[in-house]
Amino acid sequence: MTRRSGPAAGALAATSLLLALSGCGAGSDSASGGRTAASGTPVSGGTLVYATDREPTCLDPHSQGDMPQVYIAQQFLDSLVSMDEKGNIGPWLAQRWEVSRDGLTYTFHLRRDVRFTDGVRFDAAAVKANLDHMVDPKTQSSTAGSYLAQYLRTDVIDSHTAKVHLATPYAAFLEVLAQGFLGMESPRALARSRDENCQSPVGSGPFRVVRWDRQSQVVLERNPDYAWAPPTARHTGPAYLDRVVWKFIPDPSVRFASLQAGDVDVIDALPPESHGPARQNPDITLLMKDRPGNPTKGDFNVTRAPFDDVRVREAFVRAANVAGALKSVLFGEYTRAGGPLSHVTPFYNAQFEHAQDYDPQRAARLLDEAGWTGRDSEGYRTRNARRLTVKVPMSDQLSNAERTLWEQVQASEKKVGIAVDLDPMGASGILECCSTAWDYDIRIGYWNTNTPDVLRFVFGSEFIDRPGTSYHTNGTGFRDARFDRVIHQALETQDPEARRALYLDAQRIVSQEYLQLTTIPQSTRLAIYKTTHGVRIEPSLSITYLYDAWVRK
Amino acid sequence: MSGPPAPGRRETHAEWLALLRLGGIRLAGGAFVLWAVATLTFIAMRQMPGDPALAILGGISPTPQAIAEVTREYGLDQPLFVQYGRYLSDLLQGHLGISYAQRLPVSQIIAEQSGATLQLVAASLFTTWVLVLLWTLTTTGRGRWIAGIGATVETIAAAVPPFWLAIVLLATFAFGLRLFPAAGSDGVRTLVLPALALGLPLAGFVGQVTREALVVTLEQPFILSARMRGASDWSVRWRHALRHSLLPGVSLSGWAIGALIGGTVVIEVIFSRKGLGRQLYQAVQSQDAPLVIGITLVIATSYVIANILVDLLYHIIDPRLRKDDQ
Repeated sequence: MTRRSGPAAGALAATSLLLALSGCGAGSDSASGGRTAASGTPVSGGTLVYATDREPTCLDPHSQGDMPQVYIAQQFLDSLVSMDEKGNIGPWLAQRWEVSRDGLTYTFHLRRDVRFTDGVRFDAAAVKANLDHMVDPKTQSSTAGSYLAQYLRTDVIDSHTAKVHLATPYAAFLEVLAQGFLGMESPRALARSRDENCQSPVGSGPFRVVRWDRQSQVVLERNPDYAWAPPTARHTGPAYLDRVVWKFIPDPSVRFASLQAGDVDVIDALPPESHGPARQNPDITLLMKDRPGNPTKGDFNVTRAPFDDVRVREAFVRAANVAGALKSVLFGEYTRAGGPLSHVTPFYNAQFEHAQDYDPQRAARLLDEAGWTGRDSEGYRTRNARRLTVKVPMSDQLSNAERTLWEQVQASEKKVGIAVDLDPMGASGILECCSTAWDYDIRIGYWNTNTPDVLRFVFGSEFIDRPGTSYHTNGTGFRDARFDRVIHQALETQDPEARRALYLDAQRIVSQEYLQLTTIPQSTRLAIYKTTHGVRIEPSLSITYLYDAWVRK
Repeated sequence: MSGPPAPGRRETHAEWLALLRLGGIRLAGGAFVLWAVATLTFIAMRQMPGDPALAILGGISPTPQAIAEVTREYGLDQPLFVQYGRYLSDLLQGHLGISYAQRLPVSQIIAEQSGATLQLVAASLFTTWVLVLLWTLTTTGRGRWIAGIGATVETIAAAVPPFWLAIVLLATFAFGLRLFPAAGSDGVRTLVLPALALGLPLAGFVGQVTREALVVTLEQPFILSARMRGASDWSVRWRHALRHSLLPGVSLSGWAIGALIGGTVVIEVIFSRKGLGRQLYQAVQSQDAPLVIGITLVIATSYVIANILVDLLYHIIDPRLRKDDQ
C-alpha cells in the first residue's frame, strides 16, 4: 500500500534482493524471497518478541491502511488468494475462481473447512461482508477501499461460492486481493463498531490478537485450529510459536541494542549504520527483501517551472549522484532504484534501471538547451535573471537515512548550478503544501503495492484532481492521454503477455518523461537473534511472516 | 481532654476561615488557568494548516465519501465557534472527546497511560530524595574541601539536561554494560535509568536548597547543645538538623512534580516507555487535537493542584504566614 511522504520513517530502506546473513555484503540473487533465517528442526512452543518502529492506530487493516497495520495483520489474517515469489496468484481461502470474459465478474469457490478464531465459519457471506466493509465510507479505508474503486457488489451464489461484480475490468483485482490490507475478517467481528474492530480484529490466521497495550505491545497467541496455510508457507497446521509479543520501540539504535542484549528476538527497520555491526555479530543474522511498488522517490511537479520542461527534469535526475550517496552515507547497504517500478513488482522491466544514472555533463548540456545559461554570484544557473531553484518540502518524519540522501542530492545538484531548497516541515505542513496543494517542485514519498497498476495511481491523470478529494496521489501533475490509455488497457486483459507488453509501454513513457527521481526501493530489513529461526518475508508486500518461525531459548 | 484556651480557639477558627478563603481564591485562579490552557490548545490545534479530516483518515487517497463521513462525524463542517462551544460544554461534563488517531475515548487513553507516568514520576522523586539525603547530608559542613566538592557536584547535576543524561545513561548502562534494558515499561529494571535521568538533575536543585538550610541549621545553638549532650554526629544530623532543613526542599518538590510530568515527554520517548508524555508527543505529530488537549489539561491540572497544595501547606506549616492573613 502506501504512504504519501515517508512517515514510514524507519521503514525507509532498501537493498538488492534478499541480502541473506553473515558477511556476504553483496545481494544474493536467489529468487526464493521467503528464505528462512536459519536451519534446524522446528520446535513448537515459546514466545517470540518482535520489535518494530511504528505503532499502528488501528489493528484492522481495512480501516485507514498504513504499513504498520498490515505488518501485524499479516500474522492474524488470511487472504482470499496468495501470491508467490514470481508474482503468480495461487489459492488460499479461495480454492479456485473464474473470471468472466468481459473481466467484470469474478466467481470464487471457497474452502469449506475454514473458521475464524471467534468460531464463525468462513463462507461466501463472509467474503461479501469483507468486501462491503472495505468500501463502506464508515470504515474510513484509504488503502483497501481505494484498491476496490471498481467494486460493485458480491452475490452469494451458495454458501461456498461468491460472485464479485466490478464496474470496469480490473485485471489487478486478484493481485490486490493477495495483500494483507484486503485480508478476510470475521463478519461477526466486522459487525461491531469500527472502534471495537480496530482494537481487536478477528481473522482466521495462524495467530489471533489477544491484547493491545497502547504504546507498548500487541500480544498474539497461536490459533490451535489453523489448517489452511497458503501454498507459499513452509509447513502446514498450527504455527510453531505459542505467542508473539509485538513491541513498539521507535528509536532504531535502542531497537538494535535490545536485540544485541537478547531482550527481543527480531527487529525490523534496521538502520543503515547498524548493518555493519549486525554482520559482525555472530549472534545476529540479517534477512532483507525489497518491497514491490513505486520506490522511494521525489515526484517532479510538472505543472510549473522549472519542471514543466522535460530537459530540466532529466538534468536534475542526471545531476543527482544517488549512487555515490548510497555508497557514502548509506554504507553501500541499499541498491539503486532507477525505474518507476521496484524490481520485485510483477511485470517490472529492468531496461529502465539506468535511465537515471549520474551524468553531470549531460545535465549541464540539457540545462543549456533549456535556456538556463546565466550564472548568479553564488554560481547557480539563471534564466531571465531568475535563479534555478527547486523547492523540496522535507517531512520531519523522514528517516535520517532518507534525509541524508537528499542532502547529498542537494550537494551534487549544486555542482551543475541547481539550487535545492530542502524545506523541513511538520506533518500538517506537508499535508498543506503537498497533499492538497501543489506548492512544491519535488514531493518525497513512496507507494508499496504488489501490482504495476500502482503506475495509474501515481501517474494517471484521473488522480490529479478527482472530484471531491483534496489529496492527489498523482504528485507530478502528469497528464498524458497515451499513458492513460495504456494503463487502462492493461486492466482490461487477463492475458499475462498482453499485460506485460502494456506495462512495458507504461514504464517506458514514465521513464522517458523523467517524472521522478527514484532513489531506493522500500524494503523490509530484519535482524534476527540466534534464538529464532524460520522467520520469513512473505511475497505479496515483502513483509514479515511469523507462521513458519520458531524459537529455541 | 482539655481544650485550648478560649482566645486560641477563636483564633484557630478565624485562621481556618482565612485558609478556606485563600483556597477558594486559588481554586478559582486554577480554574481560570485550566480554561485558558484548554482554549489556547484548541485554537492552536485548529490553526494548524491542513484539513483535520485528512489527519483523521491518516492513510492515502481517501475517497470523497470517507472524507464526508469523517467531516460529519467529527462536526468539522460546523463554524469554529460552534465547535468551540460544543467542545467546552463537553469538557465541563467531563467528556474529553474521542482521539482522532486511536479512535478511543481520550479519558480511557489517559487512564491507560497515566499509570506508567505516575510510576516514573514517583520513582524519580524517590531517586531525588535518596540522592539528596545521602549526598547533601554527608557532605555539608565537613570542612571546606568536602563541602565544596559536595556543592559543586550539586551545581553540575542541576545543570545537566535530562535528555542528555538519558542518552549517556542509555549508552553506558544499556548499550555498553547491558545492566539495564534499553526500552520498555514493564518491571522495576526498566524504571532505573529513566528515573535516574529525571531524578539526578532534580536532586541537584533540591540538594542546593537543602544544603543552604542545613548550613544555617548546623550553626544553631540547639545543635551545639545536642552535641554537648553527647549525641553522635550522625544522630545530630539525622535526628536534629535534618527536620529543620527539609522545608525548602519539600516545598520545591511540589513544583518538581509538575516539572517531572513535563520532563517525562522527552524521557519516555528516549526510553521507549509507555506513558502520557510519549502519548502527547505522538498526538502532536499526528495532529490528534482531542488527545493533545486532553493530556495538556491533565498536565496543567497536576501543576495547578500541586501549586494550590503547596500554597496551603505553607500556610499550615509556617505560623508567621497565618498571622499575615488576618
